[in-house]
This record gives sequence, structure tokens and C-alpha cells, in this order.
Amino acid sequence: MSKGNVSRFQMVTIAVALLITAFIVLVLIGVVTHSPLGVLIECLLSEEIQFAVRLSIITSVVSTLLCILVAVPVAYALARYTFPGKSLMNMVMDIPMALPPLVAGVGLLLFFGVSPIGKSLDAMGLVFVFTPLGIIVAQFFVNLPYMLRVTRSTFQGVNPRYEYVAKTLGCTDAQAFWRVTLPMSSNGLLAGSVITWSKGIGEFGAALMLAGATRMKTETLPLSLFLNMSTGKLEYAIAAATILIMISVISLYAFERYGGATHVY
Amino acid sequence: MLVIDSVSKSLGEFSLSNVSLSVEDGEYFIVLGPTGAGKTILLETIAGIYSPDTGRILLNGRDITDVPARERNIGMVYQDYMLFPHLTVEANIGFGLRSRRADPAFIRGKVEGSADLLNISHLLHRYPGTLSGGEQQRAAIARALVMEPEALLLDEPLSALDVKTRENLRAELAQIHEATGTTIVHITHNFEEVFDLADRVAIMRGGDVIQVGTPEEIFRRPNSDFVAGFVGVENLLRGTGSPDGTVAVEDLRIRVENGMSGPVSVAIRPEEILLSKKILPENGKNVFSGRVDSVRPNGGLVRVFVDAGVLFKVTLTRQGFEEAGFAPGDAVYLAFRPSAAHVYPSGVQKGA
Repeated sequence: MSKGNVSRFQMVTIAVALLITAFIVLVLIGVVTHSPLGVLIECLLSEEIQFAVRLSIITSVVSTLLCILVAVPVAYALARYTFPGKSLMNMVMDIPMALPPLVAGVGLLLFFGVSPIGKSLDAMGLVFVFTPLGIIVAQFFVNLPYMLRVTRSTFQGVNPRYEYVAKTLGCTDAQAFWRVTLPMSSNGLLAGSVITWSKGIGEFGAALMLAGATRMKTETLPLSLFLNMSTGKLEYAIAAATILIMISVISLYAFERYGGATHVY
Repeated sequence: MLVIDSVSKSLGEFSLSNVSLSVEDGEYFIVLGPTGAGKTILLETIAGIYSPDTGRILLNGRDITDVPARERNIGMVYQDYMLFPHLTVEANIGFGLRSRRADPAFIRGKVEGSADLLNISHLLHRYPGTLSGGEQQRAAIARALVMEPEALLLDEPLSALDVKTRENLRAELAQIHEATGTTIVHITHNFEEVFDLADRVAIMRGGDVIQVGTPEEIFRRPNSDFVAGFVGVENLLRGTGSPDGTVAVEDLRIRVENGMSGPVSVAIRPEEILLSKKILPENGKNVFSGRVDSVRPNGGLVRVFVDAGVLFKVTLTRQGFEEAGFAPGDAVYLAFRPSAAHVYPSGVQKGA
């Protein structure tokens, strides 16, 4: 009973797609339009939300930079070299991605709180438990696998023969990496950084465990959302949520835009 | 002189087994072989990307087996160009000189000279992604040549190009070799490139060098069924050699030049065989009678299959074919000189 060349099956599948799209849009619009605009702006400009925005940006930028710093050499080794234990390392480094963030947080809390390593770091003045430093470490731990995966697949996408040619033209291994592979990977690294940063901004579970939820001290945007919800200050929670939605949408767009070009070479 | 001395290298599914070759100064040396013969590994080992498991490599008397690629002064050009996509053609060509921290004015001069040699001066400010295949390959060759390498390695440099571009670049490679006198090792699976370019050829198969010689030698006197098949010898007959300089193939006794005893193969190129409806005088030649089995036109040539107890393939020009008017079933005579029948021992093939 199909009309023209549109089958019933085709109509059903498209209808489901339309419904789910509408559902997502409605949910997000519901958050953004919940407070009257004046109240929303007032909350956005409040000291507490401003603090949360600043702390979120600082911690997520620092943790993203750390992720890049670690992921680039590690991903390169995994993409280019064969060495004993490589597949095991690959698996272990993906674990934090599959782990519930709360579990990661408990592990981090025990590591930095009671382990000898954590205690000696504490003695050196590096305190991670219930401090903004803990937020950075929590974001780093949970998000490193994402950066690592994107970076590794980016390096794998660059034919090693580019490096071979660079070496016949006088480059050391390191120079071939800096002058050829890294610039050829810039889109992939940018895309990975954006996705890592936006995940860092939204990190809640592990940060809550390690850094706690102290108002105006370890209060990032998601923690602010949580604190204000639980104390009934809905309009502040909405303000934090609105900012998080905007960041997510923008960074998703940037990821698609640069990530799509990852494999041009 | 580039000497590869008993080099072996195993790399997963590809390997080199005990390869020895020596390439003279200024020689254009082609390594010919099917895909998977280990040709690219051979080049990458010469370039210093891999170090051999055993054996040595010497360049102009210097043992470079353990010298890193960057200090070998050997240029490398790949089939897929491998131009750095984030750099202009100019920066690509100047890449190596900048590695050496040469003076910018010096670099500019050398880059322009190299681009001029390859006729790509008008492309210096373009990015590789905007160039045609032929233009990219010219840029890749310029990038290697600007370093004035002691040896230039070309890995299937013409294989990714369309027919017309390939012919042009092939002619230019010959000119560049003439102009620069650079020692070139060029690998290919395409026999056509050999006659235009090579001073000498090595045939590789399964990580092994099977035969080395001038193109003429390889073409006329293949040393195995593999080489004979690869260079287009279509009549490969198995027989028994006698000390009197003949080979018995089925009921035929074929007179040959280089007689040997025991089981042998006889290779006869299809264009070396004369075909006639009239009986042909012997004059020391091999003359056999037979019947035309089938006729297959092939462009400007016609392939005629003749059953003379053994099936012979004969190539004629279309004009020669039409004048004689051969048709299937016709009684014919075929003749070829003993020197056209090249004999090598069968059964004990290298690399088989």
C-alpha cells in the first residue's frame, strides 16, 4: 500500500528519526527556556556562577593540555612501534573510559589520600584531595583515553613513508615527527582536544569523589548544577546547565568540522 | 658504486633472502619483479629505513650498513609521491636543504635549479594536493635530486600515472639521468620501462634475485621459466638436451646454440619465428611443418598458433599476416635460427 516509491518501512524509519530528534530538542529547549530571561542573565552574572565558569575553564584547559602532552608521545608509540606488552597497554589505557567515573574517583581518592605515593605528594605540598588540583587530575584520568584514541588513529592515518622520506632528507626521528607527522596530524589533534576539553568541562563523578563539592572552592559548572539542585536553587542550576549545553553544542560542531578532516592524508 | 652484499631482511610477509647486487657509478639499474617480490624492502633497506638482518651495504667504498638514513645521502621517491601536504612545492623541494641548515639564498637557488630541471618552476607556490599525478611525481623527484644524492632510489615512480604522462616522464627520467649522471636504482613490475631506461636489470621474485644482465641479455637469454614468462617469451618448451647441440621436444629435434645435456627448457620468442605456406630452405635453421590451429588479432599484431606436434605461438605484423593469408587448418612451415632457441636447465630453478 505504498504511495509512489515511498515504502511504509521508509516512512516508519524516518518518522522514528524525526520523533527522537524532536525529543532531544525539546529536552534542551526546556532547560534553556525554563527561567525568564532576566532571571537567567542575573544568575549567569552572579558571583557563584561566574566562579564556576572560571574554575571549569581553568581546570578543563589545564587537564586538556596535560592530556595532549601525555597522549601525543603515547599514541605515537602505539601507532608506530611494536614492543612487548603493547596490546596489554592499549587495553589498560582504555579502561578509564569504560569505568563508571565514580569508581575512577574512588580509586583516585584512595591513591592520593592514603597510598604512600599520595602521602609523599601531600608532604611536598601537592594536595589533590578536596582541592581544585583534584578536579584537574580527575578530568585528566577520565578523559585521557578519548584524547589517546583520537590521536592514535590520527597518527595511524599518516603513512609512515612520509617520515621515511623526511629521514632520507636529513631528519632525525624526532625532526621527522615535528616537521612532518605532527603538522599533518593537526586537524585530528585539534578535534581530539576539543572533545577532551568539552568532556573535561562536564566531568562530574570522578571530580566529586576526589575534589568534593565545596561551594566556591571546588564548584565547577556540573558541581554547581548538582549543589544548587540539591539546595533547591533551581534558577542557578538552570544557569549552569545552560552554559554546559552551549559548550557541548559548540564543541560538537567544532569536532565534526575538524574531526571530519582527520584522514585527508 | 653501490654494493649490496648478501643482504637478508625479514619483515612479516615480505622478505629479502641473501640478495647481492652491485650497481656501477652513474648506472641506471632497474629491479624488475612482480608485486610482493620484496622490491620496496630492498630500496628501503638501501635507503636506511630498515637495517638488514645480515649482510652489508657499501656506497662508494663506505660501509653504510649501520649509518642512519639521514646521513646516507641517498634519495628516495615513492610511487605515491609522498609530498608533504602541508608544505608548498617550494618548501617540499627545499625540505632537505633546510634540514642541513643551509643558507636561505643558497636553498632558493638550488630549489629553482631543481624545479627548472623537472619543468615545475611555475608550480613552486602551489600545494601538492592541487597538482596532477605527473606534477606531483616531478616535485618528488626534484625534492630528492636537489640534495645531489650519491644514489637515487625510485620505487615504481611511473606506476600511478596515466599512460601519456608515464611516457613523458619516462623520457624525462632518461634525460635527467643523462644530465645529472646520478646512480639510479628504479624498481618496477613493468617490463616496458626497462628498454627505455635501464643499463642493466635485475629480476626479483620472492625476495630473491634470479637474474641480472643488460635488458638485451634478459630479453634474449632468460635463465628460467619465470624470467622467460616475465619478459614475454611465449614459447617455452620442455625437452631433453643432447651433447650434439639439439634438444628433443616430443617428436621434434630442435637445433640450439648453447647445447646442454639432460632436462632443459627451450625459450623461443614468438617474433623470432618465420611462418610460410611454402617450404622453407633449411640453411642450418630449424624448419618444421604444421597446421595453423588458431589466429588471434591483437592490435597491430596477429598471433598465430601453429600445431607442429608442439604448439608454437608466432607473432606477425598485421600486414605480413594479411599478405600471406593464413587461416586455421592451413598447412604451413615454420622456421627459426638455432640462436633464437635459448636453452637453460629446467627443474633446478633459482627462487622457485
